[in-house]
Amino acid sequence: MSLNLIYHFQISQNQDVDFRPASYGVVYFFSQDGFLDPKLLTEMSKTVPDADHSHLHFLNLDDLKAFALRVCQELSIREVRLISVQDYNIGLDGSRDHKSFNSIFDKYGEILINESAKKKGLLSKLFS
Amino acid sequence: MTLLNDHKQFDPVRPGEQWFFYWKTSASLWESRIVQFPQHEIIFIPLYWGFHADSGTDWDFGRIQPERDLLRLTQLLNQHGRKFCWILPLTPAPFLPNGGISVYSARSLSIGREGVHLAVFDHEFNLNKMFSYFEPKVFQSFTGFLKAFGNFLGTNKIKAPIWGASFFYYQEGEKYSFMEDFSIAFDQGFSRYLKKTFPKGADVTNPRTEAELKASFTKEVEQLFNATAEAALGPFWMGVQKIVSLGAGPRESIIRSLPSGKSQLGFTRDIFQHFVNSEWISSALLSFQEKKELLNWILAEHFGSTEIEQRYNYQGQSPQLEQEFRRFGVVDIFGGKRHHESEKIGLIQFLENNFRWLYQSQDQLPFNPEWIDLNQSKLKFFHGPDLDRTTFAQILKLFMMGQRILLNRSGLGEAFEKKLQIFLIENNIKIQEVNFMTPTQLCELGEGRLILFEGDKLVENSSKEKYWDELFKYFNLVQPEIIMDDDIFTMWRIRATSQHELSYLDVRRVNIYNPTSYKKNVTIKTHKHFAFMKMIDPTRATAKSTTDGVDIELLPNGKIALDFGHYEEI
Repeated sequence: MSLNLIYHFQISQNQDVDFRPASYGVVYFFSQDGFLDPKLLTEMSKTVPDADHSHLHFLNLDDLKAFALRVCQELSIREVRLISVQDYNIGLDGSRDHKSFNSIFDKYGEILINESAKKKGLLSKLFS
Repeated sequence: MTLLNDHKQFDPVRPGEQWFFYWKTSASLWESRIVQFPQHEIIFIPLYWGFHADSGTDWDFGRIQPERDLLRLTQLLNQHGRKFCWILPLTPAPFLPNGGISVYSARSLSIGREGVHLAVFDHEFNLNKMFSYFEPKVFQSFTGFLKAFGNFLGTNKIKAPIWGASFFYYQEGEKYSFMEDFSIAFDQGFSRYLKKTFPKGADVTNPRTEAELKASFTKEVEQLFNATAEAALGPFWMGVQKIVSLGAGPRESIIRSLPSGKSQLGFTRDIFQHFVNSEWISSALLSFQEKKELLNWILAEHFGSTEIEQRYNYQGQSPQLEQEFRRFGVVDIFGGKRHHESEKIGLIQFLENNFRWLYQSQDQLPFNPEWIDLNQSKLKFFHGPDLDRTTFAQILKLFMMGQRILLNRSGLGEAFEKKLQIFLIENNIKIQEVNFMTPTQLCELGEGRLILFEGDKLVENSSKEKYWDELFKYFNLVQPEIIMDDDIFTMWRIRATSQHELSYLDVRRVNIYNPTSYKKNVTIKTHKHFAFMKMIDPTRATAKSTTDGVDIELLPNGKIALDFGHYEEI
C-alpha cells in the first residue's frame, strides 16, 4: 500500500492586496482506496510551520515532503510517491489506457519511505 | 434484471442515452447493432468529426474507409425505419479520442485549472486526451469539416436534425466546460484577443480582471464554434444541448483508475446532484462494471427514452396529468448559482430536509406556453441580483397568471424596485406585511402569490430554517414525509387517477434506491393526505404497511417503488 501525491509549484502572486509567496501546493493526494480526507490533511499540515493549512500550500519542497511523510505515519502506510504536475502531464501524454496510466507514479514518482511503518512491518512479520 | 442480462445489454457501440458510436465497430456490423435498438427509440449519432479527416483538408464520408460511410449508415437507419439525429460536439468531447479532433490538428493538450492535462477514461478504459480548441488549426479544421459535412448532407438529401453539444464535467461541486483551457495555445489566443480588443493595451495586472477577460475570451470562442456550426448546418440545426459527462474530469480519472474504482454511491450521488441542478447527463464514459445493476436501473427509470425525447424536444407533455407517470417536483429555483445564494439564505438546507430531490435549480426561465402550463403548480424562486429586464417582466406576468412566486429582493436593482412598486400600486395588489426574521410582503392577486423577502437578513440568522418552515406552511404543500439516511436516494413521479381511483386527486410513485453496501431502513409517513396503494418491483427490499405509513427495509443495492394515492385533507 502506498500513497500518491501530485503537487504543483506556484509562483508568488499579488491577489488584490494580499501577497502570496511562491509555494508548493497539493493538487491530489490519494491511496489505493481513494482520495484522502481533507480534514485529515489540514490537520497533518499543521505539523509543518509556515504552511498555508487551508489551501495545503508549503513554502518549499522539503516542507511538502515532511507533510507527506507525516500523513504516511498517521495512516501507517509504508511509502508515498510524490510527482509534480509537469511530470504527471508527461506521464499522461505517454499513456493510452488504464494500465499505462497506473504506471505513471512508478515511472515518475519520487518515493519517500516511512521508516516507522517499515520497522513495524518487519517486527509484525517476526511475531506473526 | 440479472447481472448476466446487464452484461449482455452492455455494448460499447451503444454506451447509453441511445447513442450510437459508429466508429467503434466494423461497418459490416452496423446493421446488426442498429436493430438492437428498440424500434420506437430515436438514435443519437455523435459525430466523431476528426475521424473523417483524410488529411488536413480532405474529408472522407465513406469514399476511402467503410467505417466513415455515413451515407450507408443513414440508409441502414432508414431501411429499418429508425428515427435518428446527429450530435455535433462544440467543445472537446470526452468520449472521443483527442476530444474529437483529428490527428492533423491535435497539437496542444488541454490543461485544467489545476495544471493537469485533461484526460478521461472512456467506457473501455482507454485514455482519451483532450486537445485545446484554442489552437487556430482546430477551428480551421472544424470549419472545413462543417463545409464538407453540409455538402454531404445536401448532396445526399439527408434531412436528419443536428444538435450541437457542449460537454462539461463536475469537480468538487463545481461545473467546468471541456472548452476551458489553461494551455499555451489558450495563452497565445488570449494574447491575440487582447491585442485585437484593446489596441491601446489592456491592464491585466489585477488577477481578477485577467480572470474575467479570460472567461469572456473563452465564451467568445465557444460562441464562435456554435455560430459557425449553426450557420453551416442551418436547415438541420436544432440548437445546443449542455451535457455533463459522468466519470469525466481529472479527479474522476484518478478515482476511476484505482482498484476500488468509483463507488455506486459516488455515481448515484453525482446523478442526483446533476438532476437537482437540471443538468442533462451522459453515462457514455462508464464501463459495464461501473454501470452495473443499481446505476443501470436509475438511468433507465429516470433518464430513459421518455426523458431523452423530452429533452431533445421530440416529445411534449400535456399540461394535465395523464395515465403515464411523469417527474414530480414542487420547487424551481432560478439564478443564485454563482454565489450560492440559495444555500446562504438556508433555502437549500430546508428543501434538502423537507423536499429532497423535489426541487431543481435552473439556469434560466423557459418562458413559453408549454413550460408555463406544465409547471403551473410549482413554487418559483428568483434571486434579485440575477434578474434582467425580460425575466423581471416575466415574473410579474407569471404572478398575474396565478402562479406562486418568491422573490429575494436583496440586490434587486433600483430600477426594478421602482417598477415593482408601480406594478403593485397600479394593479391594486393586496399586500400583507410580515416581519418575521426578515421583512416579508405577501402579495395576492386571484390565485397568484408573490412573496417578496430580503434574503440578506437571513444569511447570518442561525434559525433561518424556521423562516422557510413558516413560509412553506403558508403554501400548504403536502407530501409524504420520508425518514431516511443521506445515502438513500428517492425520485418522485406523479400520474392522473384511473376510473377505479376516483377517491384520489392523483397518484404518486416514489422510487427508492440503496446504493450502499449496508442494510438501510426507510420510513414513510403519509400524514393523512396519502394512502399506500402498492409496491412495485422490490429487489432486495421489503415494505410493510403501518398505521401511519410504510416501513421499508433495503438490502445493499436494493430498490423498491411505492404508489400512494393522494386525497384531500380530512
